[in-house]
Amino acid sequence: MLADPTSPTSIVPPSGMALYIHVPFCKTKCPYCDFNTYQGIERMMDPYMGAVTQEITQWGRVLEGAAVNSVFFGGGTPSYLNEGSIDRILESARSSFQLKDGAEITIEANPGDLDLPACQRLINAGVNRLSIGVQSLDNELLSLLGRRHNADQAMAALATARSGGFSNINLDFMYGLPHQTMPQWQDTMQRMVSQHPGHISLYCLTLEEGTPLHRWVETGKLPQADQDLAADMYHYAADLMEQEGYQHYEISNWCLPGFECRHNLCYWLNQPYLGVGPGAHSSLGSYRFWDISSPGTYITSVNDWATKNPQPAIGLTEEVLNSVLPVDHQEHIDEDTFLAETMFLGLRLLEGMDLAEVSAQVGIDLGERYRSEIRDLTELGLLEREGPLLRLTKPAHLIANQVFTRFVG
Amino acid sequence: MDPELIRNFCIIAHIDHGKSTLADRFLEITGTVRAQDMRSQFLDQMDLERERGITIKGKAVAMHHRAPDDLVYQLNLIDTPGHVDFSYEVSRAMAAAEGALLVVDASQGVEAQTIANALLAMHYNLDLIPVVNKVDLPQAEPHRVASELQQVFGFREDEILYVSAKEGTGAQEILDAVVARIPPPKGISKDSLRALVFDSVYDSYKGIIAHIRVQDGQLSRDQRLQVMSSGKVAEILEVGVFAPFPKTVDTIYAGQVGYVATGFKDVRDCSVGDTLTNNSKPAKEPLPGYMPLKSMVFAGLYPSDGEDHNRLRTSLEKLQLNDASLRIEPENSTALGFGFRCGFLGLMHMEIVQERLEREYDLDIIVTSPSVSYQVVSPTGEITNIDNPSKLPPPHEVKEIREPVLDLTIVAPDRYVGVIMELMHSRRSEFKKMDYIQGGMVQREGVDSDTAQSRVVMEYTLPLVELLADFYNQLKSRTQGYASMDYSLKGYEAASLVKVDVLVNQQPLEALAMILHRDQAVSHGREVIQRLKAAIPRQLFEVPLQAAIGSRIIARETIRAMRKDVLAKCYGGDITRKRKLLEKQKEGKRRMKMVGRVEVPQEAFLTLLKIGAED
Repeated sequence: MLADPTSPTSIVPPSGMALYIHVPFCKTKCPYCDFNTYQGIERMMDPYMGAVTQEITQWGRVLEGAAVNSVFFGGGTPSYLNEGSIDRILESARSSFQLKDGAEITIEANPGDLDLPACQRLINAGVNRLSIGVQSLDNELLSLLGRRHNADQAMAALATARSGGFSNINLDFMYGLPHQTMPQWQDTMQRMVSQHPGHISLYCLTLEEGTPLHRWVETGKLPQADQDLAADMYHYAADLMEQEGYQHYEISNWCLPGFECRHNLCYWLNQPYLGVGPGAHSSLGSYRFWDISSPGTYITSVNDWATKNPQPAIGLTEEVLNSVLPVDHQEHIDEDTFLAETMFLGLRLLEGMDLAEVSAQVGIDLGERYRSEIRDLTELGLLEREGPLLRLTKPAHLIANQVFTRFVG
Repeated sequence: MDPELIRNFCIIAHIDHGKSTLADRFLEITGTVRAQDMRSQFLDQMDLERERGITIKGKAVAMHHRAPDDLVYQLNLIDTPGHVDFSYEVSRAMAAAEGALLVVDASQGVEAQTIANALLAMHYNLDLIPVVNKVDLPQAEPHRVASELQQVFGFREDEILYVSAKEGTGAQEILDAVVARIPPPKGISKDSLRALVFDSVYDSYKGIIAHIRVQDGQLSRDQRLQVMSSGKVAEILEVGVFAPFPKTVDTIYAGQVGYVATGFKDVRDCSVGDTLTNNSKPAKEPLPGYMPLKSMVFAGLYPSDGEDHNRLRTSLEKLQLNDASLRIEPENSTALGFGFRCGFLGLMHMEIVQERLEREYDLDIIVTSPSVSYQVVSPTGEITNIDNPSKLPPPHEVKEIREPVLDLTIVAPDRYVGVIMELMHSRRSEFKKMDYIQGGMVQREGVDSDTAQSRVVMEYTLPLVELLADFYNQLKSRTQGYASMDYSLKGYEAASLVKVDVLVNQQPLEALAMILHRDQAVSHGREVIQRLKAAIPRQLFEVPLQAAIGSRIIARETIRAMRKDVLAKCYGGDITRKRKLLEKQKEGKRRMKMVGRVEVPQEAFLTLLKIGAED
């Protein structure tokens, strides 16, 4: 929502915001991963804990203890942190912000890190949603992806998490991998669905420049995955999950009724969020900004910031962000950009966008603003209207960039 | 001036056989250029000429030489271009001269252009003086080369002169021979003025400056000139001779060479081959002109940046003022926007125009792959010239298509006969004859065995379009650089040619239409379609790509519909990066050209248009 910088309560609306905590540690870095995460810097775990709790505290002052609807520990491997770390971070979040009752609190975990005591500790700390990076139930593919677990461990982790008290569990899977075959994928999907996890995310492998996997494909050590086969895999999984009662609520996400990820919905609805930790992104007021990526520099800058005594900000401005020392970069989101983002994020939700409702929220008639784009895309069979909703047609799900590009630039 | 004391001559030689260096020596010996003003290849004024080592435009320079009879003669040297593309300009120079020096490199011997130019000179009834140049080189074999000259052209041994243009030895004797052996001009001073325009350049102050040879009568400052082809009348702004810099004179007499500033602003008002006469006392008949200038090679020139279209137009028009052989015609293409269809004398000419546009006019241009002009004969026998495949009428309106065919001469050491024949065989050529030049007639001790071997003169007819397809490079690489070639247009000959259309989603793409020999149509068509398939991204719908002759499909590929185009993860909050990826993708779409509903990247056209279907 476009914030009015002159209004004292405008940075975070009374409806609240999401809080993301970035954990930049991994025991081993996977060869496909281009996230801001590192292996072999465990010595920084303690200083990191100090910095990230400090950053939360400082932001709590700037934002005057705004309401928080969801917390998400991402990374990296949050489950790799030392015992008690998640408790400490959540404590600082509770004391700095108004963490709402029933707030969704998610942690990403590697199957190998999940034993019964660990699960119980997380539950006791208040975590109520678990996202397990299973990626595949084929051991050869798991080893190609550099994962430290095998298929049996992944299935065991799910069982352990459940017996440890987690009822809201997401499983992440990847398709479109080099060497991956349709029978492998069908087997993985069938075994997964038979477990009925509440939430399932499917990601097509993107070869990110600079990653070992990208290099291996470039140099011919690994074959390029066939994109048509990847499309077939996606459609196979979508059909299977539909039969099993899952709702396909976002391009890459499925859930049983009531298990949508509230934290991620906040991104897709272009609502405010605060990210803390190295390289974490935030969207507040009419600014998008992100923290310094390098964990060492991040820690130093938070410690410097902690010596200041930040005052509550009346509105978010360039000046305010400049005074937030761990912020590395800021971007002012003008109206055009905000609206374009609202469209391409909102249309990722497959139920569709209620254009009238969103228009009322942003104060601009989006149907009018994007009349010709919507008309053209509807004629191309990529968008459709149902009642008040504008949504991607089913064939457009996997070629949605053809829709999104119309709204940007 | 007494015509008996005038000699008009030119120098003809294969490229790099030392023509320009010899001209430099003449300028020095005759004192035409002072030693301190001398620089190498003096007559090649354009940077490009000096860099490429060739002469693009003919020049004329007047020199004064005291002959052994102690009389001072005016020797007008009309320089000629040294590249095969410019044989037209060679013929212009020859028409203005009575004799020529036929210069041959003492280490290289008779080459293809030596033969072609000598034959041309004989056609113009020039008296030839054979000259063996570069006798100072360690690998020089003047006697072997002299024997080649005798064998190929029938010269007598005692006619042949030897010179080292580099060192100057023998140059004096050549000038004496010019006086002794080349006849004076036959023009008659008392008759009405007839002056042949053998070149023209544009000067922004004086308008068109015609380079002329006065055949009959005299041309004076106070006359009014009439262009006999158009009847247009010019006031003379200036009359002069080249010495070698322009030097004004009052009168140019019969037999002399010089220039006249006409004040015309349009090169077409006074073009090469025209005859100028005295408006108050006009001649009855014009002089025989030249073969009409014909563009042989055609290509589209487009600005890389559409904004530069007007600048390209004015630049081409300026080039045209000094280059009568350049043809331009506006053209537009789905793929490349607005540009010009240009006609050139040959590939070299095309390259030079491109380079001049880039260098002198600072333009960045795209040149499409070169093609030729076809004659299309209708069922009623009407002949139309078509230089753009997309303009070819439908098959039922075509009785016959004729293509330009060349007489091609190749000279090479005989050990390359096999590889040359192989190359020629793959190029739709027709063998005519082969002669051996016996290099061994004058054997010497210790002669390098390579050059002592016999050489062959091979004659073929070859479709011009085959020559354009990287022929010369192929010939050079297969013969390790030893083969030389020359060609002239033989004429147009009927061939089994068809128009191959390229259809994208059933819609013909004019920019990619081709005229091909029937035997090559399927393989070339298939290749183009495959390359197009690789270059066009998948669309929202399935796109058929076809090559067709009329309604008959000869090659087909299908670009399947796009199935996956979506950003995978969209969370973690890095919305900015996602947006930038989308913006980049959109920017890519914006640069696409629409062919019907199909988005085609410009690069797809460029790879096909620039390289053609050959490699």
